[in-house]
Amino acid sequence: MPPENEKNCARREFLRTGLQGAALVGLGALAGRLVTPSASQKTVWQIDPAKCIQCERCAVNCVLKPSAVKCVHAFKLCGYCRPCFGFFQPDYNALNAGAENQLCPTGAIERSFVEDPYYQYVINEPLCIGCSKCVKGCTAFGNGSLHLQVRHDRCVNCNECSIAVSCPSNAFVRVPASQPYLIKGKEHA
Amino acid sequence: MVNAQADSRLKRGALVGAILAAFAALAALSIWTLQPETSAKRGFAYDMESLRKIDPALIKFQEERRIETGFAKVAGLALVGRSSGSPGGPEGRPTQSGGVLLVAGDNSVRAFGPDGKLAREIKLSGPACAVAVAQDGKVYAGLRDHVEVYDGQGVLLGKWESFGKEARITALTVAAEDVFIADFGPRVVWRCDLSGKVRNKIGVRDEARNVPGLIAPSPYLDLAFGADGLLYVNNPGRFCIEAYTPAGDLEHSWGKPAMGVDGFCGCCNPVSFALRPGGGFATSEKGVARVKMLDADGNLESVVAAPASFGEEAFGIGVALDGEGRVYVLDTGTRAVRVFNKKKELSDQDAAGK
Repeated sequence: MPPENEKNCARREFLRTGLQGAALVGLGALAGRLVTPSASQKTVWQIDPAKCIQCERCAVNCVLKPSAVKCVHAFKLCGYCRPCFGFFQPDYNALNAGAENQLCPTGAIERSFVEDPYYQYVINEPLCIGCSKCVKGCTAFGNGSLHLQVRHDRCVNCNECSIAVSCPSNAFVRVPASQPYLIKGKEHA
Repeated sequence: MVNAQADSRLKRGALVGAILAAFAALAALSIWTLQPETSAKRGFAYDMESLRKIDPALIKFQEERRIETGFAKVAGLALVGRSSGSPGGPEGRPTQSGGVLLVAGDNSVRAFGPDGKLAREIKLSGPACAVAVAQDGKVYAGLRDHVEVYDGQGVLLGKWESFGKEARITALTVAAEDVFIADFGPRVVWRCDLSGKVRNKIGVRDEARNVPGLIAPSPYLDLAFGADGLLYVNNPGRFCIEAYTPAGDLEHSWGKPAMGVDGFCGCCNPVSFALRPGGGFATSEKGVARVKMLDADGNLESVVAAPASFGEEAFGIGVALDGEGRVYVLDTGTRAVRVFNKKKELSDQDAAGK
Protein backbone atom coordinates (compact mmCIF):
# COMPACT_ATOMS: atom_id res chain seq x y z
CA MET A 1 0.00 0.00 0.00
CA PRO A 2 1.58 3.32 -1.13
CA PRO A 3 2.05 6.02 1.44
CA GLU A 4 -0.51 8.85 1.61
CA ASN A 5 1.79 11.54 0.06
CA GLU A 6 2.62 9.25 -2.92
CA LYS A 7 -1.10 8.70 -3.52
CA ASN A 8 -1.63 12.53 -3.56
CA CYS A 9 1.26 12.95 -5.99
CA ALA A 10 -0.22 10.39 -8.40
CA ARG A 11 -3.64 12.07 -8.26
CA ARG A 12 -2.07 15.50 -8.91
CA GLU A 13 -0.07 14.04 -11.79
CA PHE A 14 -3.21 12.49 -13.22
CA LEU A 15 -5.14 15.76 -12.97
CA ARG A 16 -2.27 17.77 -14.51
CA THR A 17 -1.93 15.36 -17.40
CA GLY A 18 -5.66 15.33 -17.88
CA LEU A 19 -5.87 19.13 -17.93
CA GLN A 20 -2.93 19.37 -20.35
CA GLY A 21 -4.61 16.85 -22.62
CA ALA A 22 -7.92 18.72 -22.51
CA ALA A 23 -6.14 22.01 -23.25
CA LEU A 24 -4.38 20.40 -26.23
CA VAL A 25 -7.65 19.02 -27.56
CA GLY A 26 -9.25 22.46 -27.13
CA LEU A 27 -6.38 24.17 -28.91
CA GLY A 28 -6.56 21.64 -31.74
CA ALA A 29 -10.30 22.20 -32.11
CA LEU A 30 -9.78 25.95 -32.13
CA ALA A 31 -7.02 25.70 -34.74
CA GLY A 32 -9.17 23.38 -36.82
CA ARG A 33 -12.06 25.80 -36.59
CA LEU A 34 -9.82 28.64 -37.72
CA VAL A 35 -8.28 26.70 -40.59
CA THR A 36 -11.49 25.10 -41.90
CA PRO A 37 -14.10 27.66 -43.02
CA SER A 38 -17.54 27.11 -41.61
CA ALA A 39 -20.56 26.82 -43.87
CA SER A 40 -21.35 30.48 -43.36
CA GLN A 41 -17.82 31.53 -44.37
CA LYS A 42 -17.72 29.36 -47.48
CA THR A 43 -17.70 31.45 -50.62
CA VAL A 44 -18.76 30.90 -54.21
CA TRP A 45 -18.32 32.76 -57.49
CA GLN A 46 -20.88 35.34 -58.61
CA ILE A 47 -21.19 38.15 -61.14
CA ASP A 48 -21.60 41.68 -59.88
CA PRO A 49 -24.22 43.06 -62.31
CA ALA A 50 -22.99 46.60 -61.74
CA LYS A 51 -19.57 45.66 -63.12
CA CYS A 52 -20.60 43.34 -65.96
CA ILE A 53 -19.98 44.81 -69.42
CA GLN A 54 -21.63 41.98 -71.40
CA CYS A 55 -18.43 40.96 -73.18
CA GLU A 56 -19.75 37.46 -74.05
CA ARG A 57 -16.81 35.64 -72.45
CA CYS A 58 -19.10 33.92 -69.94
CA ALA A 59 -20.61 31.92 -72.80
CA VAL A 60 -17.29 30.54 -74.04
CA ASN A 61 -14.88 30.43 -71.12
CA CYS A 62 -16.76 28.29 -68.58
CA VAL A 63 -15.50 24.74 -68.08
CA LEU A 64 -19.10 23.61 -68.46
CA LYS A 65 -20.84 23.49 -71.82
CA PRO A 66 -23.24 25.23 -71.85
CA SER A 67 -21.94 27.75 -69.39
CA ALA A 68 -23.06 27.86 -65.74
CA VAL A 69 -23.72 31.55 -66.31
CA LYS A 70 -27.32 32.27 -67.22
CA CYS A 71 -29.43 35.31 -67.80
CA VAL A 72 -31.84 36.04 -64.94
CA HIS A 73 -34.71 38.46 -64.96
CA ALA A 74 -35.42 40.96 -62.18
CA PHE A 75 -39.14 41.35 -62.82
CA LYS A 76 -39.36 44.19 -60.31
CA LEU A 77 -37.25 46.34 -62.64
CA CYS A 78 -38.80 45.23 -65.93
CA GLY A 79 -40.84 47.72 -67.95
CA TYR A 80 -42.76 44.87 -69.67
CA CYS A 81 -42.14 46.74 -72.92
CA ARG A 82 -43.86 45.68 -76.11
CA PRO A 83 -40.69 46.30 -78.11
CA CYS A 84 -38.18 44.79 -75.64
CA PHE A 85 -34.66 45.23 -76.93
CA GLY A 86 -33.45 42.36 -74.83
CA PHE A 87 -35.77 40.23 -76.93
CA PHE A 88 -35.87 41.91 -80.37
CA GLN A 89 -33.14 42.57 -82.88
CA PRO A 90 -32.62 46.33 -83.27
CA ASP A 91 -33.67 45.97 -86.92
CA TYR A 92 -36.62 43.66 -86.32
CA ASN A 93 -39.07 43.08 -89.16
CA ALA A 94 -42.11 42.90 -86.92
CA LEU A 95 -42.86 42.89 -83.22
CA ASN A 96 -43.56 39.19 -83.02
CA ALA A 97 -41.65 36.15 -81.81
CA GLY A 98 -40.52 35.12 -85.28
CA ALA A 99 -36.99 33.71 -85.18
CA GLU A 100 -35.75 36.40 -87.55
CA ASN A 101 -36.82 39.09 -85.07
CA GLN A 102 -35.29 37.54 -81.98
CA LEU A 103 -31.98 38.62 -80.56
CA CYS A 104 -31.28 35.47 -78.54
CA PRO A 105 -29.25 33.00 -80.62
CA THR A 106 -30.91 30.03 -78.89
CA GLY A 107 -34.45 31.37 -78.49
CA ALA A 108 -34.14 31.19 -74.72
CA ILE A 109 -36.48 34.09 -73.98
CA GLU A 110 -40.21 33.39 -73.94
CA ARG A 111 -42.47 36.37 -74.68
CA SER A 112 -46.09 36.37 -73.58
CA PHE A 113 -48.86 38.98 -73.68
CA VAL A 114 -49.99 40.40 -70.34
CA GLU A 115 -52.31 43.28 -71.27
CA ASP A 116 -52.12 46.07 -73.82
CA PRO A 117 -49.35 47.10 -74.32
CA TYR A 118 -47.41 44.98 -71.82
CA TYR A 119 -45.51 41.76 -72.44
CA GLN A 120 -43.70 39.43 -70.06
CA TYR A 121 -40.28 37.94 -70.79
CA VAL A 122 -39.19 34.70 -69.11
CA ILE A 123 -35.79 33.01 -69.46
CA ASN A 124 -35.80 29.35 -70.43
CA GLU A 125 -32.63 28.50 -68.51
CA PRO A 126 -31.75 25.17 -70.12
CA LEU A 127 -31.57 26.99 -73.47
CA CYS A 128 -29.62 30.01 -72.20
CA ILE A 129 -25.90 29.93 -72.98
CA GLY A 130 -25.02 33.10 -71.06
CA CYS A 131 -24.00 35.08 -74.16
CA SER A 132 -25.30 38.34 -72.64
CA LYS A 133 -26.70 39.63 -75.90
CA CYS A 134 -30.11 40.25 -74.31
CA VAL A 135 -28.44 41.82 -71.28
CA LYS A 136 -26.68 44.32 -73.52
CA GLY A 137 -29.91 45.27 -75.29
CA CYS A 138 -31.87 45.58 -72.06
CA THR A 139 -29.14 47.60 -70.36
CA ALA A 140 -28.76 49.97 -73.31
CA PHE A 141 -32.42 50.63 -74.02
CA GLY A 142 -34.46 49.38 -71.10
CA ASN A 143 -34.23 49.27 -67.34
CA GLY A 144 -31.47 46.66 -67.17
CA SER A 145 -33.73 44.04 -65.64
CA LEU A 146 -32.01 41.23 -67.58
CA HIS A 147 -28.60 40.40 -66.11
CA LEU A 148 -26.16 37.52 -65.83
CA GLN A 149 -25.68 35.33 -62.77
CA VAL A 150 -23.68 32.19 -62.02
CA ARG A 151 -26.27 29.48 -61.39
CA HIS A 152 -25.19 27.39 -58.44
CA ASP A 153 -27.29 24.37 -59.27
CA ARG A 154 -24.64 23.65 -61.94
CA CYS A 155 -21.52 25.74 -61.18
CA VAL A 156 -18.71 23.48 -59.92
CA ASN A 157 -17.08 26.39 -58.08
CA CYS A 158 -13.56 25.96 -59.45
CA ASN A 159 -10.86 27.47 -57.27
CA GLU A 160 -9.64 29.35 -60.31
CA CYS A 161 -12.79 30.13 -62.27
CA SER A 162 -11.84 30.25 -65.93
CA ILE A 163 -14.40 32.97 -66.63
CA ALA A 164 -13.20 35.10 -63.72
CA VAL A 165 -9.64 34.87 -65.04
CA SER A 166 -10.68 36.27 -68.41
CA CYS A 167 -13.32 38.76 -67.19
CA PRO A 168 -12.19 42.18 -68.45
CA SER A 169 -14.17 44.16 -65.88
CA ASN A 170 -13.44 42.09 -62.77
CA ALA A 171 -17.13 41.46 -62.40
CA PHE A 172 -16.54 38.00 -60.92
CA VAL A 173 -16.49 38.20 -57.14
CA ARG A 174 -16.60 35.76 -54.24
CA VAL A 175 -19.80 35.91 -52.22
CA PRO A 176 -20.94 33.95 -49.16
CA ALA A 177 -22.39 30.56 -50.12
CA SER A 178 -25.32 31.33 -47.85
CA GLN A 179 -26.21 34.31 -50.09
CA PRO A 180 -24.92 33.22 -53.47
CA TYR A 181 -26.82 35.63 -55.77
CA LEU A 182 -26.50 39.33 -56.57
CA ILE A 183 -29.93 39.90 -58.08
CA LYS A 184 -30.60 43.40 -59.31
CA GLY A 185 -33.08 45.37 -57.27
CA LYS A 186 -34.31 48.89 -57.00
CA GLU A 187 -30.83 50.09 -56.09
CA HIS A 188 -29.84 49.39 -59.70
CA ALA A 189 -32.77 51.26 -61.24
CA MET B 1 7.52 10.37 -121.87
CA VAL B 2 9.71 11.59 -119.04
CA ASN B 3 8.27 15.04 -119.48
CA ALA B 4 4.71 13.68 -119.29
CA GLN B 5 5.50 11.87 -116.01
CA ALA B 6 7.08 15.01 -114.56
CA ASP B 7 4.07 17.01 -115.63
CA SER B 8 1.69 14.57 -114.01
CA ARG B 9 3.76 14.58 -110.77
CA LEU B 10 3.76 18.36 -110.81
CA LYS B 11 -0.01 18.48 -111.25
CA ARG B 12 -0.54 15.97 -108.43
CA GLY B 13 1.76 17.98 -106.17
CA ALA B 14 -0.09 21.18 -106.98
CA LEU B 15 -3.43 19.49 -106.25
CA VAL B 16 -2.22 18.15 -102.89
CA GLY B 17 -0.78 21.56 -102.08
CA ALA B 18 -4.04 23.26 -102.94
CA ILE B 19 -6.02 20.79 -100.77
CA LEU B 20 -3.63 21.31 -97.85
CA ALA B 21 -3.84 25.08 -98.27
CA ALA B 22 -7.64 24.86 -98.31
CA PHE B 23 -7.60 22.80 -95.08
CA ALA B 24 -5.23 25.30 -93.45
CA ALA B 25 -7.46 28.18 -94.49
CA LEU B 26 -10.54 26.39 -93.13
CA ALA B 27 -8.78 25.70 -89.82
CA ALA B 28 -7.68 29.34 -89.54
CA LEU B 29 -11.22 30.50 -90.32
CA SER B 30 -12.69 28.20 -87.66
CA ILE B 31 -10.28 29.48 -85.02
CA TRP B 32 -10.93 33.08 -86.06
CA THR B 33 -14.69 32.75 -85.91
CA LEU B 34 -14.54 31.24 -82.41
CA GLN B 35 -13.04 34.42 -80.97
CA PRO B 36 -15.60 36.56 -79.15
CA GLU B 37 -14.22 39.72 -80.76
CA THR B 38 -14.79 38.18 -84.18
CA SER B 39 -18.29 37.11 -83.37
CA ALA B 40 -18.93 40.66 -82.26
CA LYS B 41 -17.76 41.96 -85.62
CA ARG B 42 -19.89 39.55 -87.58
CA GLY B 43 -23.03 40.54 -85.71
CA PHE B 44 -23.38 37.98 -82.92
CA ALA B 45 -22.84 40.72 -80.38
CA TYR B 46 -25.04 43.73 -79.95
CA ASP B 47 -23.43 46.29 -82.21
CA MET B 48 -24.21 49.59 -80.51
CA GLU B 49 -21.67 51.50 -82.58
CA SER B 50 -23.60 51.16 -85.81
CA LEU B 51 -26.74 52.35 -84.03
CA ARG B 52 -24.92 55.40 -82.72
CA LYS B 53 -23.82 56.63 -86.14
CA ILE B 54 -25.49 59.78 -87.44
CA ASP B 55 -24.98 61.57 -90.73
CA PRO B 56 -22.72 64.54 -89.81
CA ALA B 57 -24.69 66.75 -92.21
CA LEU B 58 -27.68 66.47 -89.87
CA ILE B 59 -25.76 67.82 -86.87
CA LYS B 60 -26.38 71.55 -87.06
CA PHE B 61 -25.51 72.51 -83.50
CA GLN B 62 -22.30 72.62 -81.55
CA GLU B 63 -21.60 72.79 -77.87
CA GLU B 64 -21.04 76.37 -76.79
CA ARG B 65 -20.31 75.90 -73.10
CA ARG B 66 -20.93 73.76 -70.05
CA ILE B 67 -22.34 74.73 -66.72
CA GLU B 68 -21.09 72.38 -64.02
CA THR B 69 -23.86 71.72 -61.52
CA GLY B 70 -21.72 70.08 -58.84
CA PHE B 71 -24.46 67.54 -58.20
CA ALA B 72 -23.81 63.83 -57.79
CA LYS B 73 -27.20 63.10 -59.37
CA VAL B 74 -29.24 65.43 -61.54
CA ALA B 75 -32.99 65.34 -62.07
CA GLY B 76 -34.29 68.31 -64.05
CA LEU B 77 -33.81 71.89 -65.16
CA ALA B 78 -35.80 75.05 -65.78
CA LEU B 79 -35.10 78.51 -67.12
CA VAL B 80 -36.35 81.46 -65.08
CA GLY B 81 -39.26 83.28 -66.64
CA ARG B 82 -40.88 80.11 -67.83
CA SER B 83 -41.51 76.60 -66.69
CA SER B 84 -39.36 73.68 -67.67
CA GLY B 85 -39.56 72.92 -71.34
CA SER B 86 -42.35 75.32 -72.27
CA PRO B 87 -42.01 77.85 -75.09
CA GLY B 88 -41.50 80.89 -73.01
CA GLY B 89 -43.88 79.96 -70.27
CA PRO B 90 -47.64 80.16 -70.15
CA GLU B 91 -47.66 83.55 -71.80
CA GLY B 92 -45.32 82.42 -74.53
CA ARG B 93 -42.72 85.00 -73.60
CA PRO B 94 -39.34 83.71 -74.66
CA THR B 95 -36.64 83.70 -72.06
CA GLN B 96 -33.64 85.77 -73.02
CA SER B 97 -30.17 84.31 -72.92
CA GLY B 98 -29.41 86.31 -69.81
CA GLY B 99 -31.89 84.28 -67.79
CA VAL B 100 -31.23 82.28 -64.69
CA LEU B 101 -30.98 78.53 -64.96
CA LEU B 102 -32.34 76.28 -62.22
CA VAL B 103 -31.16 72.70 -61.84
CA ALA B 104 -32.67 70.10 -59.53
CA GLY B 105 -30.34 67.46 -58.16
CA ASP B 106 -29.33 65.69 -54.97
CA ASN B 107 -31.31 67.42 -52.19
CA SER B 108 -31.52 70.90 -53.60
CA VAL B 109 -32.24 73.29 -56.44
CA ARG B 110 -29.29 75.36 -57.61
CA ALA B 111 -29.61 78.63 -59.53
CA PHE B 112 -26.93 79.59 -62.02
CA GLY B 113 -26.55 83.11 -63.37
CA PRO B 114 -25.98 84.10 -66.98
CA ASP B 115 -22.25 83.68 -66.40
CA GLY B 116 -22.84 80.05 -65.42
CA LYS B 117 -21.78 80.65 -61.83
CA LEU B 118 -23.75 79.36 -58.87
CA ALA B 119 -25.97 82.22 -57.67
CA ARG B 120 -27.89 80.51 -54.88
CA GLU B 121 -29.06 77.17 -53.59
CA ILE B 122 -32.43 76.12 -52.21
CA LYS B 123 -32.20 73.18 -49.82
CA LEU B 124 -35.14 70.81 -50.05
CA SER B 125 -36.52 68.41 -47.46
CA GLY B 126 -35.47 65.40 -49.59
CA PRO B 127 -34.09 64.33 -52.96
CA ALA B 128 -35.05 66.68 -55.80
CA CYS B 129 -36.91 65.14 -58.75
CA ALA B 130 -38.02 68.15 -60.81
CA VAL B 131 -38.16 71.93 -60.84
CA ALA B 132 -40.29 74.63 -62.47
CA VAL B 133 -40.60 78.38 -62.13
CA ALA B 134 -43.79 80.44 -62.21
CA GLN B 135 -44.08 83.84 -63.85
CA ASP B 136 -44.11 85.46 -60.40
CA GLY B 137 -40.72 83.92 -59.66
CA LYS B 138 -41.92 81.22 -57.28
CA VAL B 139 -39.93 78.03 -57.51
CA TYR B 140 -41.85 74.73 -57.55
CA ALA B 141 -39.67 71.79 -56.58
CA GLY B 142 -40.90 68.27 -57.15
CA LEU B 143 -39.77 65.71 -54.62
CA ARG B 144 -40.59 62.00 -54.77
CA ASP B 145 -44.23 62.30 -53.73
CA HIS B 146 -44.96 65.98 -53.14
CA VAL B 147 -44.25 69.55 -54.21
CA GLU B 148 -42.51 72.28 -52.22
CA VAL B 149 -42.95 75.94 -53.12
CA TYR B 150 -40.22 78.52 -52.44
CA ASP B 151 -39.87 82.21 -53.12
CA GLY B 152 -37.02 83.57 -55.18
CA GLN B 153 -34.82 83.81 -52.10
CA GLY B 154 -35.32 80.19 -51.15
CA VAL B 155 -37.83 80.73 -48.34
CA LEU B 156 -40.29 77.86 -48.05
CA LEU B 157 -43.82 79.10 -48.85
CA GLY B 158 -45.66 75.82 -48.80
CA LYS B 159 -45.41 72.07 -48.77
CA TRP B 160 -48.16 70.22 -50.59
CA GLU B 161 -49.75 67.00 -49.52
CA SER B 162 -48.31 63.75 -50.78
CA PHE B 163 -49.73 62.31 -53.99
CA GLY B 164 -49.60 58.87 -52.37
CA LYS B 165 -47.22 56.07 -51.50
CA GLU B 166 -46.73 55.08 -55.14
CA ALA B 167 -46.03 58.62 -56.33
CA ARG B 168 -42.81 59.35 -58.14
CA ILE B 169 -42.75 62.85 -59.57
CA THR B 170 -40.61 63.22 -62.69
CA ALA B 171 -41.52 66.69 -64.03
CA LEU B 172 -43.75 69.68 -63.40
CA THR B 173 -44.74 72.88 -65.12
CA VAL B 174 -46.64 75.96 -64.03
CA ALA B 175 -49.35 77.68 -66.08
CA ALA B 176 -51.31 80.78 -65.10
CA GLU B 177 -53.71 79.08 -62.69
CA ASP B 178 -52.53 75.48 -62.81
CA VAL B 179 -49.58 73.37 -61.85
CA PHE B 180 -49.18 70.15 -63.83
CA ILE B 181 -47.22 67.35 -62.22
CA ALA B 182 -46.05 64.24 -64.09
CA ASP B 183 -46.21 61.23 -61.78
CA PHE B 184 -44.45 58.08 -62.95
CA GLY B 185 -45.96 55.97 -60.15
CA PRO B 186 -49.59 55.83 -61.33
CA ARG B 187 -48.57 57.11 -64.82
CA VAL B 188 -50.70 60.25 -64.67
CA VAL B 189 -50.39 63.99 -64.81
CA TRP B 190 -51.96 65.73 -61.83
CA ARG B 191 -53.55 69.09 -62.58
CA CYS B 192 -53.54 71.15 -59.39
CA ASP B 193 -54.41 74.70 -58.51
CA LEU B 194 -51.68 76.94 -57.18
CA SER B 195 -52.32 75.77 -53.62
CA GLY B 196 -51.83 72.11 -54.51
CA LYS B 197 -55.47 71.02 -54.62
CA VAL B 198 -56.01 68.40 -57.33
CA ARG B 199 -58.39 69.54 -60.08
CA ASN B 200 -58.23 66.55 -62.37
CA LYS B 201 -56.01 63.79 -63.72
CA ILE B 202 -54.66 63.68 -67.26
CA GLY B 203 -53.40 60.70 -69.24
CA VAL B 204 -55.43 57.97 -67.56
CA ARG B 205 -56.58 55.31 -70.00
CA ASP B 206 -60.15 56.08 -71.01
CA GLU B 207 -61.55 54.40 -74.10
CA ALA B 208 -64.71 56.51 -74.00
CA ARG B 209 -62.62 59.66 -74.37
CA ASN B 210 -60.19 58.00 -76.79
CA VAL B 211 -57.29 58.38 -74.36
CA PRO B 212 -54.91 55.40 -74.73
CA GLY B 213 -53.18 56.16 -71.44
CA LEU B 214 -49.61 56.97 -70.53
CA ILE B 215 -47.14 54.10 -70.83
CA ALA B 216 -43.85 54.68 -69.06
CA PRO B 217 -41.65 51.60 -68.73
CA SER B 218 -38.97 53.71 -67.08
CA PRO B 219 -39.30 56.86 -64.94
CA TYR B 220 -39.15 59.51 -67.64
CA LEU B 221 -42.44 61.34 -67.96
CA ASP B 222 -41.99 64.94 -69.06
CA LEU B 223 -44.42 67.75 -69.82
CA ALA B 224 -44.66 71.32 -71.06
CA PHE B 225 -47.49 73.81 -71.27
CA GLY B 226 -47.75 75.50 -74.66
CA ALA B 227 -48.72 79.00 -75.69
CA ASP B 228 -51.64 77.34 -77.50
CA GLY B 229 -53.14 76.42 -74.12
CA LEU B 230 -52.43 72.72 -74.50
CA LEU B 231 -50.44 70.51 -72.20
CA TYR B 232 -47.82 68.42 -74.02
CA VAL B 233 -46.81 65.13 -72.41
CA ASN B 234 -44.40 62.49 -73.67
CA ASN B 235 -45.77 58.96 -73.84
CA PRO B 236 -42.51 57.01 -74.04
CA GLY B 237 -44.08 53.55 -74.18
CA ARG B 238 -46.01 54.65 -77.24
CA PHE B 239 -43.05 56.61 -78.69
CA CYS B 240 -44.98 59.85 -79.03
CA ILE B 241 -45.75 63.25 -77.62
CA GLU B 242 -49.41 63.90 -76.86
CA ALA B 243 -51.28 67.17 -76.53
CA TYR B 244 -54.08 67.42 -73.95
CA THR B 245 -56.49 70.11 -72.97
CA PRO B 246 -56.19 71.02 -69.28
CA ALA B 247 -59.43 69.06 -68.77
CA GLY B 248 -57.71 65.91 -70.04
CA ASP B 249 -59.05 65.53 -73.57
CA LEU B 250 -56.49 64.20 -76.00
CA GLU B 251 -56.22 66.60 -78.92
CA HIS B 252 -53.48 65.06 -81.02
CA SER B 253 -50.21 63.17 -80.88
CA TRP B 254 -47.24 62.42 -83.08
CA GLY B 255 -44.18 60.18 -83.02
CA LYS B 256 -43.07 56.78 -84.23
CA PRO B 257 -40.68 54.09 -83.06
CA ALA B 258 -37.53 53.73 -85.16
CA MET B 259 -33.87 53.04 -84.58
CA GLY B 260 -33.11 55.59 -87.31
CA VAL B 261 -32.73 59.23 -86.41
CA ASP B 262 -36.18 60.13 -87.76
CA GLY B 263 -38.01 58.21 -85.02
CA PHE B 264 -37.78 57.45 -81.31
CA CYS B 265 -35.46 54.54 -80.59
CA GLY B 266 -35.41 51.68 -78.12
CA CYS B 267 -38.19 50.50 -75.87
CA CYS B 268 -39.34 53.87 -74.52
CA ASN B 269 -38.55 57.32 -75.81
CA PRO B 270 -38.40 60.32 -75.80
CA VAL B 271 -37.37 60.83 -72.19
CA SER B 272 -37.53 64.60 -72.25
CA PHE B 273 -38.58 67.43 -74.53
CA ALA B 274 -39.10 71.17 -74.79
CA LEU B 275 -41.36 73.28 -76.96
CA ARG B 276 -39.75 75.65 -79.43
CA PRO B 277 -40.95 79.27 -79.35
CA GLY B 278 -41.82 79.25 -83.04
CA GLY B 279 -43.47 75.83 -82.94
CA GLY B 280 -41.87 72.43 -82.93
CA PHE B 281 -39.96 70.45 -80.35
CA ALA B 282 -36.53 69.64 -79.01
CA THR B 283 -36.44 66.01 -77.85
CA SER B 284 -33.99 63.89 -75.92
CA GLU B 285 -33.65 60.09 -76.14
CA LYS B 286 -31.85 57.48 -74.06
CA GLY B 287 -30.37 54.19 -75.26
CA VAL B 288 -29.03 55.78 -78.38
CA ALA B 289 -28.65 59.11 -76.62
CA ARG B 290 -29.40 62.01 -78.90
CA VAL B 291 -31.09 65.41 -78.90
CA LYS B 292 -33.02 66.47 -81.98
CA MET B 293 -34.93 69.43 -83.33
CA LEU B 294 -38.32 68.58 -84.83
CA ASP B 295 -40.95 70.67 -86.53
CA ALA B 296 -44.52 71.06 -85.25
CA ASP B 297 -45.57 67.81 -86.99
CA GLY B 298 -42.68 65.88 -85.51
CA ASN B 299 -40.54 65.77 -88.65
CA LEU B 300 -36.79 65.80 -88.10
CA GLU B 301 -35.12 69.12 -88.80
CA SER B 302 -31.68 68.64 -87.35
CA VAL B 303 -29.62 66.95 -84.67
CA VAL B 304 -28.49 69.03 -81.71
CA ALA B 305 -26.35 66.44 -79.94
CA ALA B 306 -25.35 63.13 -81.52
CA PRO B 307 -24.87 59.92 -79.52
CA ALA B 308 -21.11 60.48 -79.67
CA SER B 309 -21.62 63.61 -77.57
CA PHE B 310 -22.67 61.51 -74.59
CA GLY B 311 -20.76 59.05 -72.45
CA GLU B 312 -21.76 55.41 -72.13
CA GLU B 313 -25.25 55.05 -70.61
CA ALA B 314 -25.54 58.87 -70.31
CA PHE B 315 -28.28 60.96 -71.90
CA GLY B 316 -30.07 64.27 -71.60
CA ILE B 317 -32.52 63.97 -68.74
CA GLY B 318 -33.78 67.50 -69.27
CA VAL B 319 -34.02 69.88 -72.22
CA ALA B 320 -34.82 73.60 -72.28
CA LEU B 321 -34.59 76.37 -74.87
CA ASP B 322 -33.91 80.04 -74.56
CA GLY B 323 -35.28 82.81 -76.74
CA GLU B 324 -32.18 82.84 -78.93
CA GLY B 325 -32.40 79.23 -79.99
CA ARG B 326 -29.87 77.81 -77.58
CA VAL B 327 -30.58 74.31 -76.35
CA TYR B 328 -29.81 73.47 -72.72
CA VAL B 329 -29.28 69.76 -72.12
CA LEU B 330 -28.90 68.30 -68.64
CA ASP B 331 -26.43 65.44 -69.09
CA THR B 332 -26.77 62.52 -66.65
CA GLY B 333 -23.17 61.48 -67.30
CA THR B 334 -21.28 64.71 -66.71
CA ARG B 335 -24.05 66.15 -64.48
CA ALA B 336 -23.49 69.42 -66.34
CA VAL B 337 -25.88 71.59 -68.30
CA ARG B 338 -24.50 71.57 -71.80
CA VAL B 339 -25.44 74.56 -73.92
CA PHE B 340 -25.70 73.97 -77.65
CA ASN B 341 -26.01 76.68 -80.27
CA LYS B 342 -26.36 76.63 -84.03
CA LYS B 343 -23.06 76.16 -85.83
CA LYS B 344 -21.60 79.52 -86.73
CA GLU B 345 -21.69 79.04 -90.49
CA LEU B 346 -25.36 78.10 -90.28
CA SER B 347 -26.15 81.11 -88.08
CA ASP B 348 -24.39 83.32 -90.65
CA GLN B 349 -26.43 81.76 -93.45
CA ASP B 350 -29.62 82.37 -91.47
CA ALA B 351 -28.62 85.99 -90.94
CA ALA B 352 -27.80 86.43 -94.63
CA GLY B 353 -31.15 84.87 -95.54
CA LYS B 354 -32.95 87.42 -93.43
